[in-house]
Amino acid sequence: MKTPPRVWGVVGLLILLHFGLHVSLGLGEGAPDLVVVALLIGAREVDIGRAAGLGFILGLLEDAFSVLAFGASTFALTLVGMGGARTRDLFVGDSLFFLMSYLVLGKWARDLLHWVAVGEGLREPFVDTMLIQSPISAVYAGVIGLVVIAISGLGWETVR
Amino acid sequence: MPNYKSDTNGSGKALSTFVAFAFFVLSVVALFLPDSSQDEVASLLRGSVLRPFILTQETLVRRSIHAEDTEVLQERLDSLQMVIVNSSTLLEENARLRRLLGLSERNPDEYVAATVIRAGMPGSESMFLLDVGSDQGVTRDSPVITDQGGLLGVVRRAGATSATGWDWTHPQFRASAMTEDGSVAGMVRATPGGFGEGYRLLLNGVPFQQKLEPGVALVTSGLGVYPRGIPIGVVIEELDAQEGWTRSYLVRPVVSPGQATHVLVVVSEEGDSFDANLRSEDGWLVPEAAASEEPAQDIADTEARTPR
Repeated sequence: MKTPPRVWGVVGLLILLHFGLHVSLGLGEGAPDLVVVALLIGAREVDIGRAAGLGFILGLLEDAFSVLAFGASTFALTLVGMGGARTRDLFVGDSLFFLMSYLVLGKWARDLLHWVAVGEGLREPFVDTMLIQSPISAVYAGVIGLVVIAISGLGWETVR
Repeated sequence: MPNYKSDTNGSGKALSTFVAFAFFVLSVVALFLPDSSQDEVASLLRGSVLRPFILTQETLVRRSIHAEDTEVLQERLDSLQMVIVNSSTLLEENARLRRLLGLSERNPDEYVAATVIRAGMPGSESMFLLDVGSDQGVTRDSPVITDQGGLLGVVRRAGATSATGWDWTHPQFRASAMTEDGSVAGMVRATPGGFGEGYRLLLNGVPFQQKLEPGVALVTSGLGVYPRGIPIGVVIEELDAQEGWTRSYLVRPVVSPGQATHVLVVVSEEGDSFDANLRSEDGWLVPEAAASEEPAQDIADTEARTPR
């Protein structure tokens, strides 16, 4: 099935917006993780190889600003991209609940993989990071993702 | 909603899986790249694809600095005038004493003003970018201080027109510190606060027989890459945990890294790697030592291992 160009337009816009908010405006954690939202939307439209490539490139761009753990975002987003593409074979959903769960779990998985890849010397306590901070930012990203999907008119059936 | 149909056949799926595995392997390779290679890749990306975003923040930060309240600037100017007036007598006295002791004039430090740019990305918490580089005399290990005079961090990589550095929250940050009168010395490093609290500094290596009271100010001692006398922080309390015959203290830093937008970079005239230890009246004493891979850490480690 051919992916509508509008999906890639939204994915590209989310990536630009992510770096605009985080780098240009320096908002940090105040801004949602739109790269994960873009990757999760894009990964449902392509095969696992392309999804991994998209995750790898986006991770590398994020790691360009990382001195603490270069490669951690690349590793995390590559795997999230692969997982996102793999969910096409496992789940077919168009409900609000499915999309919200997909985005929230995707973002949480990204944080978990990043936490693992950062290494023991640098990572913060698991409970603080993964059970308190990460779920909040995952829900934040999920809500923003749903709003983006709704506003952009992708429709639930477009993001399969 | 159309029914989902897989758009890959058997061989296509195998190829796709192989490509995905290749990217996974590459991502693992990126994790374990040597620091220098990681720096090169990161610099390449920051200088090309991500340059427009960085330039935008540079412009925005410059505008916010220019929009700073003129009354605040006037107050700072007045304070500086007072300092200059009061220090003129001390300068004259210092010069006279140096002449009496037969010492030559001390090399004054030179500063380059810079704008701090921060990327709000995971893993970039301890890193900052500067809009000055080797063209302005900035080198690796050039100390960075805020416009209020506190120690922010150190430059780790200098390009032609930009540089990247660590602030004091970086896990590998170390600075040799002392009280303002120089009577007590130790080594400071970052330590995470409790949940919801920011990073603080930990002063350790203080001899057991020397005790610091809360509120005592700490400055750089001049050992290592930082010039003597840069404010670091104020002692909060002594920690219960002691390492051998030394004491450790929790220190409240004078600089909040996230709020630093305008800084001064201490530069060396020679353009060599900066090391306050190696400075003398005639220039650099041991230039080959300054060219070591991790000079700041080497010196910090040496001091940390030195028995007191």
